[in-house]
Amino acid sequence: MLKLVSRRLLALVPLLFIVSVLTFSFTSLLPSDPVDLIIGDTGTQEQYEVVRERLGLNQPVILRYIQWLGRAVQGDLGTSFFNSVSVADAVMQRLPVTLSLTLVSALIAVAVGTAAGIAAALRPRSWVDRLATVGATIGQAIPNFWFGLLLVAVFAVNMRWFPATGFTPISASPWEWLRSVTLPAIALGLSSSAAIARQVRSAMVGVLQQDYIRAARAQGLSSRRVILKHALTNAMVPVVAVLSFQITVLLGGSLIVEQVFSINGLGTLAITAVRQQDIPMIQGLVLVMVGLVVMVQLATDIVYGFLNPKARPS
Amino acid sequence: MTALPTENSATRLRRPRWLGGGSFAIVAFAAAALALLLLLAIFADAVSPYDPLRQNLMESLQGPSAAHWLGTDDLGRDVLSRLIYGCRIAVIAAAEATTIALLIGVPIGLFIGYRGGWWDWVVMRIVEAIVSIPGIMVAIVILALLGTGLHKAMIALGILFSTSFLRLARGVVLAEREEVYVRSARVIGASDRRILLRHILPNIAPPLIVQTTLTVGAVLLAEAGLSFIGLGVQPPDASWGTMLSTAAAFMDLHWFLAIPPGIAIILTVLSVNLIGDVIRDGIGRGIAVAARQDAPAARFKAIGTAVSSSLALPPPRPDEVLRVEGLQVTVASPGGPGVPLITDLSLSIGKGETLGLVGESGSGKTLTGLAILGLTSVALRTTHGSIVLNGRDLRSLSQAQIEEVRGNEVAMVFQDPTTSLNPAFTVGSQIAEVLRTKKGLSKKEAWERTVALIDRVGIPRPAERARAFPHELSGGMAQRIAIARALSCNPSLLIADEPTTALDVTVQQEILDLFRDLQAEFGMAILFVTHDLAVAADICDRISVMYAGEMVEMAEVGQLFARPRHPYTRGLLTAMPHASDRNPPLPTIRGSVPRPGSWPVGCRFSNRCDFAVPACATRIPLTGTDRLVRCIRADELVLEAAQ
Repeated sequence: MLKLVSRRLLALVPLLFIVSVLTFSFTSLLPSDPVDLIIGDTGTQEQYEVVRERLGLNQPVILRYIQWLGRAVQGDLGTSFFNSVSVADAVMQRLPVTLSLTLVSALIAVAVGTAAGIAAALRPRSWVDRLATVGATIGQAIPNFWFGLLLVAVFAVNMRWFPATGFTPISASPWEWLRSVTLPAIALGLSSSAAIARQVRSAMVGVLQQDYIRAARAQGLSSRRVILKHALTNAMVPVVAVLSFQITVLLGGSLIVEQVFSINGLGTLAITAVRQQDIPMIQGLVLVMVGLVVMVQLATDIVYGFLNPKARPS
Repeated sequence: MTALPTENSATRLRRPRWLGGGSFAIVAFAAAALALLLLLAIFADAVSPYDPLRQNLMESLQGPSAAHWLGTDDLGRDVLSRLIYGCRIAVIAAAEATTIALLIGVPIGLFIGYRGGWWDWVVMRIVEAIVSIPGIMVAIVILALLGTGLHKAMIALGILFSTSFLRLARGVVLAEREEVYVRSARVIGASDRRILLRHILPNIAPPLIVQTTLTVGAVLLAEAGLSFIGLGVQPPDASWGTMLSTAAAFMDLHWFLAIPPGIAIILTVLSVNLIGDVIRDGIGRGIAVAARQDAPAARFKAIGTAVSSSLALPPPRPDEVLRVEGLQVTVASPGGPGVPLITDLSLSIGKGETLGLVGESGSGKTLTGLAILGLTSVALRTTHGSIVLNGRDLRSLSQAQIEEVRGNEVAMVFQDPTTSLNPAFTVGSQIAEVLRTKKGLSKKEAWERTVALIDRVGIPRPAERARAFPHELSGGMAQRIAIARALSCNPSLLIADEPTTALDVTVQQEILDLFRDLQAEFGMAILFVTHDLAVAADICDRISVMYAGEMVEMAEVGQLFARPRHPYTRGLLTAMPHASDRNPPLPTIRGSVPRPGSWPVGCRFSNRCDFAVPACATRIPLTGTDRLVRCIRADELVLEAAQ
């Protein structure tokens, strides 16, 4: 397992390098001059030169990239063009918000998707199966932010069970955190639940026809044990592969769902940065997100290795 | 009477699997919804009752009324009109982004797939990097570069979704370029471009169509999302996403504002996805027509079930372990009584005895073993007969009781050891699990017993092998493990279903010897299912011959080989490779086993039998006392013996 982890970590270095080159070169293609954006129309030539000097924009691109990379490796992602906030601080401050949302919605998606998928697979063509498949098909067509609006209307505005907006950190109050994260997480997790349900169903139907399931039953193991241990362990192998992709999707989706619930997470930061063309902020955000995705992939690879012994390096 | 319900099975096949019945209506609905969307987009100016931008602050936030069917928004604009103009935006957005994605992705994918090398490496690394960023973030970064607006957002989405087309095109080229016809085209000197256009493009079309439908659905959702957060279509222009953005601000005052655009998005995306699913199923079937099989029920025509009362079996013996009487198993058939797969099957096995169940594929041997365990698949039902194991009728037991019996009193060894062991767990843990759940042993006791069992079935270094996964063992060794697991609770009956068929010939003999040794030690009865008469002769005490779901002959093994009484048994014996000389061609039984549902009414072997007479057209009972035979001419025929 250690071998697997270290091998994967090594493979990440070139990926992160390419992403950093891409984002850096891409953002230096921006049509507008950030210095103009900062000093405004009334700025003088002297002010222009000073700001340009301060941002280091008078140096060649390659040099700027090397300096930026050198600092990024040490955890310094630069300073926002607009409010002299450290990018790393701004991102780290909002990271727990977006992470809470993404992880809770991933948990919901796995729980709902797996339960629905198993229920459908146990009795193919039954009404349970039809209901789950039709539900999954519709679930994948519903925009997560629209579902979020409905949840707000029903459970926040009408019933007042949950707050309509805002986010409470888990450190402040675990209960309030749960209440603030529930509706957005359900809204965000809907389409992933649907995708996972479809995946679990097809994997489970295939696994239930395998000899080893019949052999386990022949050995007198209870139905519950056969389905939840012997069948599910194998059916989750393809599901875990999908899960890694789904968490990336959830991370992206959270940027939009945050807006429905006025949650001040990475999404708000990204949208503001785009509007202001705040280059260091965009670069930092992309890099952090890729880092998150990469960690998720690593985690799912490890789980994959546990579920599927053939995938482990010997 | 063998007419198959072809019409029925054809319509079944055309249906997408995920819907089962009534899907034609759903597809028609999806197509109609998309047609309506297209018409509204084209004729928005003529159809919409109001100017979508005309404000009337006196009439803001109204509910549905005769004047405004879907009400008005915060600025008093007509929601229906804005919805209709939103159709135009949706169509433009989907077409624009998908076209851009195709135009960028496919040529680059084709090029790098065909060129390979350095180009391929660099482009693929960039694609990997883009794919590892959440899609919406990629779009946001591109929009930072381009600025906001519908067309800019669609360029961003086009670039984003081009990666999937790129990978698809590259994958198809990589697969196709090694195909023989492309290589031979190259040999005769066709140019690169010619090869690509003439040979690869036709093969890439089907997956490309599927990917296009998937992309259209994803683009519609992404466009709505981008417009919702204010980076796509800009107010006051009407798009479904901007309408939802407005609605979001008034959820507490006028929640209805969110419903029309939401329903429009869902219906459109759903319709596109449904049609995409149908296309994918259709194309998938074009590639592998024979791959899908419906439930067997659809293929069989129900015939009247002729259940003759079971014949008196030899009287119960004191050491009898299993006694099956009059067993009938049927497969459900829609609107019929069910098609019999096994009829009137009776057998008994004593302690320490091995009964062979032989016959061709499809005669019902394996099914008999599974029916004894109550493990037939959902569509099959045991309708008649009794299965008495150690004095208890298994058919009368509850689910919990039969689970208790399995493993403890009866266990089964399957044909392919590499698939009958769970690939996700070590072999030792699979044996220990049985010991812990069935015998209530502690973790430590179960493991010690497991290692002892693995040692007993003749595997060297058992403690180490117990920690191996099934894929790390050879077939013979895996079968020894399966046998050890089956015997872990010391059952009185072991059902062995072709346990040597999947193994090498040299290993076969070792496994047979193992069965013999273990039977001598544990004293269990064995029901040995095999199609190999040589194996049966080696291991069995008595042999039952099955044909088309019924037993046609049963005798002590020596007698059966010396003097077969049923023409089918004789046919099987003469078809054994070593039972005939090498020079004349190996005799075979003409024809093949008829399928269930198309069995002859009388003797089921009569249409392949050299000795058939008109009297064979009636039901033939199983007759005899010591040895049994189901043939009306058994007494007059003198069939040649096997060597």
